[in-house]
Order: sequence, then C-alpha cells, then structure tokens
Amino acid sequence: MISLDSKTLPVNINIHLLPTPKFKTVLVTVLLHQVLEKKLAAKTALLPAVLERGTVKYPSLRDLKIRLEELYGAELGADVIKKGERQILSFSLEVVNDKFAPGENLLRQGLLILKDVISNPFLENGTFKRDYVHQEKEQLAKEIRGLINEKVNYALERCVQEMCPTERFGVYKYGSIEELDPVSPEGLYEYYRSLLKNNPMDIFVVGDVDTEETFDLVQEAFSFPRNGGPGELPPMEVYNIPGEVRYREEKLPINQGKLTLGYRTNTSYQDEEYVDLLFYNGILGSFPHSKLFQNVREKASLAYYSFSRLEKHKGIQLVGSGIEVDNYQQALEIILEQVELIKKGKISREEMENTKRALINLYKVVGDSPYSLVNFYMDGLIGEREEGVDYFINKIEGIKEDNVVAVAHKVYLDTIYFLRSEDGEGGEQS
Amino acid sequence: MQWQIKQNETIDEKIYYAPLEGGPDLYVLPRTGYNKKYAIFSTRFGSIDNFFRAAGNGEEEITLPDGVAHFLEHKLFDEEDGNIFDRFASYGASPNAFTSFTNTTYLFSCTDFFAENFKLLINFVQNPYFTEESVAKEQGIIQQEIRMYQDNPEWRVYFNLLKALYEHHPVRNDIAGTVDSIGMITKDILYKCYNTFYHPRNMAIFVTGDVSPAEILELVTENLSRRTYPPFNEMQRVYPREKAAVSEKKITQELAVSQPVFNMGFKDTYDYLDGRELLSRELASELLLEMVFGKSEHLFTRLYEEGLIDEHFSAGYTAERSYGYTLLGGRTKDPEKLHEKLLEGIEKVKKEGLGRESFARHKRKMRGEFLRSFNSLEFIANNYLAYRFRDIEFFETLDVLEELTLEDMEKRLHEHLRDELHAVSIVYPFRQ
Repeated sequence: MISLDSKTLPVNINIHLLPTPKFKTVLVTVLLHQVLEKKLAAKTALLPAVLERGTVKYPSLRDLKIRLEELYGAELGADVIKKGERQILSFSLEVVNDKFAPGENLLRQGLLILKDVISNPFLENGTFKRDYVHQEKEQLAKEIRGLINEKVNYALERCVQEMCPTERFGVYKYGSIEELDPVSPEGLYEYYRSLLKNNPMDIFVVGDVDTEETFDLVQEAFSFPRNGGPGELPPMEVYNIPGEVRYREEKLPINQGKLTLGYRTNTSYQDEEYVDLLFYNGILGSFPHSKLFQNVREKASLAYYSFSRLEKHKGIQLVGSGIEVDNYQQALEIILEQVELIKKGKISREEMENTKRALINLYKVVGDSPYSLVNFYMDGLIGEREEGVDYFINKIEGIKEDNVVAVAHKVYLDTIYFLRSEDGEGGEQS
Repeated sequence: MQWQIKQNETIDEKIYYAPLEGGPDLYVLPRTGYNKKYAIFSTRFGSIDNFFRAAGNGEEEITLPDGVAHFLEHKLFDEEDGNIFDRFASYGASPNAFTSFTNTTYLFSCTDFFAENFKLLINFVQNPYFTEESVAKEQGIIQQEIRMYQDNPEWRVYFNLLKALYEHHPVRNDIAGTVDSIGMITKDILYKCYNTFYHPRNMAIFVTGDVSPAEILELVTENLSRRTYPPFNEMQRVYPREKAAVSEKKITQELAVSQPVFNMGFKDTYDYLDGRELLSRELASELLLEMVFGKSEHLFTRLYEEGLIDEHFSAGYTAERSYGYTLLGGRTKDPEKLHEKLLEGIEKVKKEGLGRESFARHKRKMRGEFLRSFNSLEFIANNYLAYRFRDIEFFETLDVLEELTLEDMEKRLHEHLRDELHAVSIVYPFRQ
C-alpha cells in the first residue's frame, strides 16, 4: 500500500505526499475546509468558479486554458465538495509525469498555476472583477436550478432536504438562489481573504515524485501568509432518534417514480462501529448480492435500480429505487422487510461472506487511482482518523453477524420521500 | 501458442496478443503495482445489428425487434442453477456488462481469486440459458430501465438528435429498445442471436492489471480445449442505405427540466470505413472540434461570457464502420440563439482559417489526455477492444495523430462542418 508522508508548513498548510510509480500523471489537490452553512454555502460555492476565471499572470479564462493546453493538457479543476457538514473548496491539477515530456518541468509549471489560481486572482480596483462575479453567479444559479434535471440525484437530495430542514446537512452543496443573489464582488473577495488566511488547508501530491524535491517545490509555491494555529470547525450533528416517520411527496410530469428512504444510523465515520455500519449497508443494498437488489429487482422485478448509500460523516443512509408509481406500496413493503430481516439476524452465511469480500475488494483498489487515494485520506482528515487502508481491511475481516445486528438496531427510518407523476395510484393516502 | 508482443515506447506499455486458433483473440496488458485486475469478454454485437443474413439456412434474412442485444446481455447472466452474480460475489468480484450500438461487453474486476473469476467469465458468456419465464421476468426490469432514461434529458436530447440525423440507419433507435419492442423478444430470438453473434471468432478477451500473461494463456487454452465450435460462417450485417442529408432539421421535446438542453450534430458522409483510415478520420475530427469549439478558443469564451453555455459544453466525434457524426451541446438558456451563434462561429472560422499555433497546442493537449487516460485499467481494456472491432490498433493513436497536418484540418473543416449536414435537438421545460 502507498503510504502517506505528511509535513506541516510554517504557514500552517499540511502537505501529504503519496509517492508511487504506477501512474502516468502527478495529481496535486489543495483543500480549503469550511463549515457547511445556509448563509455561507452559495458564497463558498461561487469561489472556485470565480478563481478559475483568471489570475494576475493569466487574466482571462482563455489565457489560463491556453497555458494549461501548452502543458500537455494539464487538467485544472476547482469545485466544492460536501462531506457531512463540511463544504470543502477543492482545487486540483493533474499533469502528465515529467518522464513523458522531458525538459518541460510540467509539475513545477503546473504548481505555479495552481498556486496563482488560489492566491493571485485577477483583481480590478482591488477586488474580484465585476464581470467575472456577475457571470459566475448566473452560471451557479443555473447549476442550482439544474439539480432537477437529473431525477435520480434530485430525489436523493430532496429527501435529505426534507429530512434535515433545520440541520446544516440539509443545505445543498451549491447553496440556494436566495443566498446567492445578494453576493457582491467586494463581499466575496473579503470573505475569500479571510477563508484563505484562517481556514484549515491541506495539499496532496500523488504520483511518481521525489519526496524531498516535492516538499520543497510545494513549500516554495505555497508561501503566502496565513494565520498560525489550526482553524477549528464545529463538530457534526450525528445522533438523532426520530419520532414518527415523515412522509413527503412531490409531483412532476415524469415517467418513473423515485422512492427514497432516509435513515438515521446514529453512527459516523468517527465511531468505532463505523465498519459495522459499512457492513450493514453492504448487506442491505450496496452490491448486486445485497438484499435490495435481490428482492426488489431480481425477485419482484419492480425496479432496475434499488440501492442503499451511506453519507459516512453525517451518518445518514439513503435507500433509492426507481419504480412504477402504482407499485409504491409493494416496493416499500419489500424494502422495509429487508431492513427488519437484518435486525432479526436473518443474514445468510453467503451474504456475510460476499459482503466481506466485496468490501475488502473496494478498500484494496483505493490505491489504484490518484483521485480515490486523495478521497480516502480526505475522509480521514474530516473524520479525524489516521488509519490506512489495511486497518479497515482487518476490521472487515473480523466482523461477525452480531456486529451487524447491533448496529442495525441503531438505524431509524426518518423520512420517506416519493417523487411521482400526477397520475397513478401509489403513495400514502392522505 | 506463441505471444505476439505489441510495444509502445511513447506510452511505455506492452500488450501480449495471442490469436487463438478457432477461439477468441486474447490480449493481456500487465500493469505492475495495481491491486485491481480487470477482464472483459466482448462480442461485436450491438443495437445496430438488427437486420442480418445468417450464414447457412439459405441466407435467411432476419429482422430483430429493437433492444435484443441489450436484452441478451441481461439474460446471459442466468445459469441453469441460478444467477452468475452470486458466484462472482463469492470471490469478491464485481461483474457487470454493457451494450453499445456496436458491441456487448461482459466484465469483472477483482483483487483476489483472479483465476476463479476469469474462468467464471469465460464460462458464463459461453453458456446461454434462456427460458420463457426468465425472459418475461426481465421485461419488468428493463421496462424500468427504459423509463428511467425517458426522464433523463441528456439521454433524450441525444437520441432525438440521432433520429434527426438518420432516416434509416438503426443508430437512430434506443439501445435498450422501447417498452413495446422488448415485449416482442422471445427466448428463441435470443438463442438465434446468441448462435449468430457469440461465436468466438466474433469475440475477443482483454485482461489488465498485475497479471501473468502465461497464466492467462494457460487458463484460456485449457478452457477452450474442452469446447468444440462449429466453423465460423460470418453473418452478413445489412444496413439500409442512408442519404447524405439529414432526416429532419430539428426535433424538440418537453421534459421536467429547469432550462433547455441543446444538441447539435453533423452527419458524416461515408458509407463504410475501418482500420487506420477510420482512426485518422476520428482523430482529425476530434482535433478540428478542439480547434473550433475548445475552451481556449474565442468562440467558447464569447458564448460562455454571454451565458449561452456553461463549463459542461462539449463537442465530440463518433467513428463507427457504418456511420460517423459530430455531436456538440449542453444546457442553455436560449437554444435558438446558441444555434445561431454556433453556425456564425463556424462560418467565421472558415473565413479566417485555422491557426497554426492553435493546431500545435491542441495536438499537444490530445497527446497529454491520451497518456493521462492510461491511468485507468477500464479505459485501456474497453477502448482497446472497441477499436479492435473496427480493425484499428489502438496503440497507433499517437502516431496517427502526429501525421495530421493543418491542411488536413482545413479540409476536414470545410467538408464536415457544413450547414446542410447538420441537425439540432432541443429539450425544453414544460410550458405552463
């Protein structure tokens, strides 16, 4: 397994190196952590887009893109990532390894661009350029409204919103139109300056690189002033035993109904029992051998997809299926029955074995992609866990049926969200 | 059996190739340091193969209901003693399959028990077991798959565009077929297609990851030695003649979306191409699209600043033996205006000519992208066979790209991006 080599710069940035010869590229990812909050989310989400518009050296999108293309199509990406109740600004740059383009110094050149995008944005009268902010606000508004276009994701996101109306986790990763509208170039710039100065920052480098040289290179590039002391972000709200199950339905002119169930697992990535929960989720619905796929799809032919998914930091589990509206009751009963079966310990030896192997397989391939490596260690940073992949594999090896049943008893159904067409007989009778 | 070795110094990769007597072609690309092992078994049978003359039987002509290749893909996972998914699961592998317009591919990835999983793959793909009951049961599942896509605006806008471009060619039909057409599929149709298209001479295997070519060759030869295949009488695929002009200039549809989705297509004019010539056509077209619509070009910047496109706007070229087209587009607030501006932009480039600097830069970018994509085992295997089925050696990509000249681009610009060869497809939000 590729191991992490970490170091903290005097300017309070943590650098993590993952040296490995197996990739054709070098990936650099810079993370700037922020809390997910209704008032801040749209502002935070707007930042990567505005920063990508230009730097002092490359003042327009076109200048920047030309430069990146010259570097053998270096890939620059900036976005926000929602993990639990965190909204993380992520900037990444992937360049072809220098050995495929001798004499080009792609990594050094790329790092300089990445650093400029983050710390030397193009300014006009001492603040973000008005046109850039205006145009990117329009683009972000389009993105926020565009959630509805992809019905599978829309249904999952809407379920979360209905489930967490007063919690930070209920905030969409790109924020809302209401909070986006009043953002001004000046306000946004001030906000960014403070964020860049105070919030926790991590840099990952993955690829065939020399450790010492790369530390120096990154240190040289990322030398802008920052405050000492790690910025503390508030902990996440995880533990919650809901009362009566909430039922929400929404009607749209669509062909297929989307039945989504939101569960509180009362277990997060930080907890000892996290791996038990991961196992529970595997038995229920993350693989083709899982109960949901086998029963909702294979036995009853009710759906093409039926799965369960964990949000590991918040400890929420979502169960999603695409069904005929008329089959609502039958599908719901089958899903609820599967959950009950696990609670009663009705888990076959094959289900235990298959889940064990499938999960181990997933952990073993983490090191096969630079992006999944960064994602794995990012989860570690957020969940304050320092263990490597091997730790999780060992834990999975040792899981017994009792562990799964015990964790299942902490899982509570909170919300049923049904996205449906106007016609059809499905849904709860109101 | 001897390996033939294909080496590519530029990308630092080596492929072991064994043309197995009477069996499927076998390719192995070892990648040290990877935990994942990935294997695919593909056949040249896709949704467009819906009309053919079977060999023997007095050249019987067969017309299939739409969606058979995809339906067969779903049903091949059934064995007499249950679903093969369970067997893979017991070895920790995740099996899957996908059907395109031209191919069907079965695959698995795993970290342990490679030999066991690999044998399962070779065996289940060569062991059809279809019954009337299991066909009926699958209809419910695939119906839901079709319905899911009916609600997907990107999917709808794309298939509507293909319908606008092509009047007769079966690429105009959805890969999964329709709720009606899959209702006509029977077990006999599945067997007929299986016997026609799943002959090993119409198939190939690709394995990659930290694997030993010798071990894989042994596994395959041992497995094949226990089988006898009838001689391969190749079926004749028949595609209707398609005129050069598009079928319809514009197709529109309304869906539950927040704003319109716009696709524009240019239909290529060849009847048939394969091999290096087809690869060259594909790369020239891709490079041209980069030079006209790329993110570093003035046209993209103008449209972006006017808010007519977003960062997801893209342009690409598809090159198959019997058809080829350019597709571009994305979400937009004003599809009519975007359409007009794109046509204007193309005319402007034609008038002003393509730039030498832009040509060199985009070529460099494509080189880098090709290299970068070799991080992914799935990318390597899936593409290698998809190109091989068009008689293209995928490893020649960089060489063929290098051969392209600015003059080729000018020629391609004027012959391909022509007003009379284009159609548009738009998905609008429902009008209140």
